[in-house]
Amino acid sequence: MSRKPAKGEYIETDTGNKVSRRSQIIGTTNIILGGKTVIQAEVIIRGDLLRTSSSVPDGGKQSNPVAVAIGRYCIFSRGCELRPPGKMYKGTFSHYPLKIADHVFIGPGSIIEAALVGSHVSIGANCVIGKFTIIKDYVRILGGTVVPPNIVIPSFSVVAGRPGRVVGEIAEGEVEGFDLRELYRSVGNNT
Amino acid sequence: MANFTPYTYFQCPCADSVLPTRNISSDSPSAASGTSDQDERTFDPRAPRSNYSLYPLEHLLYCEDCHQIRCPRCVLDEIVTHYCPNCLFEVPNSIVKSEGTRCTRSCFQCPICIAPLSVSAVEPQPEGHGVADTAHVGQYVLNCAYCLWSSKDIGVYFDKPNAISAQLARIKNGGGQVITPRDRRKDREGRTREASMGPSLDDDGVQEDDGPKLDPNEVLDPEGQFSNLKSFYQSQIAEASPTSALGFTGGDYGYGSPGALSRIMGIYTGGTFADKKVKSKKANFREARDALEGLQIVDLASDADAIKKLQENRWQGTTSLEQRAEQLSEAPFVSDLRPLAYVLRTKRSKRCKTCRHILSKPESKVQTTRFRIRLVALNYIPAITIRPLQPLAPTQRSLLTPRKAVQFLLTFKNPLFENVKVSIATPAHTPGRFKSKVTVLCPQFEVGANTDAWEEALREGGKGAGGEKRRTKAEAHEGQNQAEAGQVWEQGRNWVSVVVEVIPPSIRMDAPDFVKTEEHKNDEGPLREDEDVVEIPAFVRVEWEADAAQDDDTGNLASMREKDGREKRELAYWCVLGLGRIARE
Ligand SMILES: [Zn+2]
Ligand SMILES: [Zn+2]
Ligand SMILES: [Zn+2]
Ligand SMILES: [Zn+2]
Repeated sequence: MSRKPAKGEYIETDTGNKVSRRSQIIGTTNIILGGKTVIQAEVIIRGDLLRTSSSVPDGGKQSNPVAVAIGRYCIFSRGCELRPPGKMYKGTFSHYPLKIADHVFIGPGSIIEAALVGSHVSIGANCVIGKFTIIKDYVRILGGTVVPPNIVIPSFSVVAGRPGRVVGEIAEGEVEGFDLRELYRSVGNNT
Repeated sequence: MANFTPYTYFQCPCADSVLPTRNISSDSPSAASGTSDQDERTFDPRAPRSNYSLYPLEHLLYCEDCHQIRCPRCVLDEIVTHYCPNCLFEVPNSIVKSEGTRCTRSCFQCPICIAPLSVSAVEPQPEGHGVADTAHVGQYVLNCAYCLWSSKDIGVYFDKPNAISAQLARIKNGGGQVITPRDRRKDREGRTREASMGPSLDDDGVQEDDGPKLDPNEVLDPEGQFSNLKSFYQSQIAEASPTSALGFTGGDYGYGSPGALSRIMGIYTGGTFADKKVKSKKANFREARDALEGLQIVDLASDADAIKKLQENRWQGTTSLEQRAEQLSEAPFVSDLRPLAYVLRTKRSKRCKTCRHILSKPESKVQTTRFRIRLVALNYIPAITIRPLQPLAPTQRSLLTPRKAVQFLLTFKNPLFENVKVSIATPAHTPGRFKSKVTVLCPQFEVGANTDAWEEALREGGKGAGGEKRRTKAEAHEGQNQAEAGQVWEQGRNWVSVVVEVIPPSIRMDAPDFVKTEEHKNDEGPLREDEDVVEIPAFVRVEWEADAAQDDDTGNLASMREKDGREKRELAYWCVLGLGRIARE
């Protein structure tokens, strides 16, 4: 852990992504970043966990298969992990894509194996988001929550507990608070 | 305890602070000081009553007609849409009325851990013993992916992977068939027919499948018992009063009929209202005789069974209180548990209780998150954010040192498109047993107007230039580190920061008497929860001038503007500023 990397902590891409040099992004060709996304140190993104090739028609499209798709203004805090979910289907094990929309905050140390995380979602620290979870827009998941696999979390929910359950509603006035543009701007090499 | 985030709560005026709020801790002795407190209307954020009126700004709405803050207590909720939180299907009102407020499709929660259950096929038998064999038992089960409970555990299998709710309604734990209310009704009708005209053919002429023949000694489930009892008593009423006072047959009208109502009134008023006919007929009422009529005789053997079960399955075989509370009927053993159908959720609009205007109205579609109307207080009253002026030393873990002055920055951000004058008043000492000394260095100031959204967008194009400027300005100030009385610390386009100085008290319980406050001398009890948090009650008054036109919030401002009136507006409310936790010595 050398404290001061000479070039600064973040690499800024053309589309405005700020990616920490100390993050681990595996299988980059299978990851889509919408831009203006922050990836902090020790974040792991598993683009290598692809759908098993047998389920994709051979010699089909030329484009790369997508394992992780991320929208704009997402912030992945230190040490969180994004893993495409996997399961047995018709006798074979396969991974399925993990989709994350815009303005999604993921707290430090959380593990995400969802199928879909909607826009304006805030996930606290040290959460486990179970396989194939579908989280709709405007959802807050409090720190330490273990969200059970296959759950659908409707919009405007506050989720907590082990297993996670809906414990409250997002108030009308909280909607603006999910916007991550300002937080995105505050992250950078000179802070 | 490790980390304290400063907070601001706003008091909704519906709390009516004039009411004498009595502080539990300092009960009666200083009545004089109590009344003077009330004259000044000092607000104690720790009074038990305050719990119910303090909200973060985000939770408050604003009524444009009453010009007042509205909290969850002073709005009326109206259901716009019912929907299942799992399959996100909208449930029409008619279905909610007939089927109740649970999902009737395939959405279930685990009875053990409440995680969602998913339908999966029973694993195919390894080679040979065919599909037919498995199909015989039923091909699908509900599984919990969290605690690994399965409907196999209660012996419930399904024939098809959809419409689980309807299937489950017909399957008992263990696999037996539930006799549905429909079957019961059929059976009953059959019996009455037999009684009246002897065994006969179905009048439809169709070969009707009679369902299971009902056993008069059947052990009923609670639903079955209720349905049997209900129909039994309905038939009793029908028989007992062939015609009511109004002349129609009693059977169809049951308890709801005016005749029945007057009879019931008669019973309660000691017979003055009582219909004489009923009195004479009362003798005809009899009680249920068998299970078909809803009679269940307590079986002593069932107790013995329960004890045996308890001995066999031990503690693990019994259900917890939470698990039982979720069940629709008594479920002392794990084997009695049923999957829980998801309770529907609602989208609601909110009205002002005083003037009935709508304050918030979501789009009715389940999948959209937009609002048609959304009058949130955030857009009407200045938000207050708090941060320490000097960053606290990391070793202190953001605790406040007793008897050492500490300064905080209060930043007021104006959401209105008018300049506002803000004044803050705080008591010199916070209420309670441990009094912090509070000084607001600049209690009166003006905050600039907010700008249009598109102007802000332009500013954004400049890539956060405003943000940069602000930072350098703050840094320049940090060199001096000296806040001046009557001076605003820092300000921007639509925000102002002022300094508040606090001297936290010692929270030692064994302090010598002369340093203790009156309240503390009267109440030597141990430190209560969060009593070590410095909470400052602050009365905030916001004044501004608005176009008189603006309050008629119709679209056609042009016509309204002819009046060209400017009118003074004022809004005043109590806030609580939670600054920090006092370190223990
Ligand atoms: Zn209120
Ligand atoms: Zn459903
Ligand atoms: Zn479970
Ligand atoms: Zn109103």
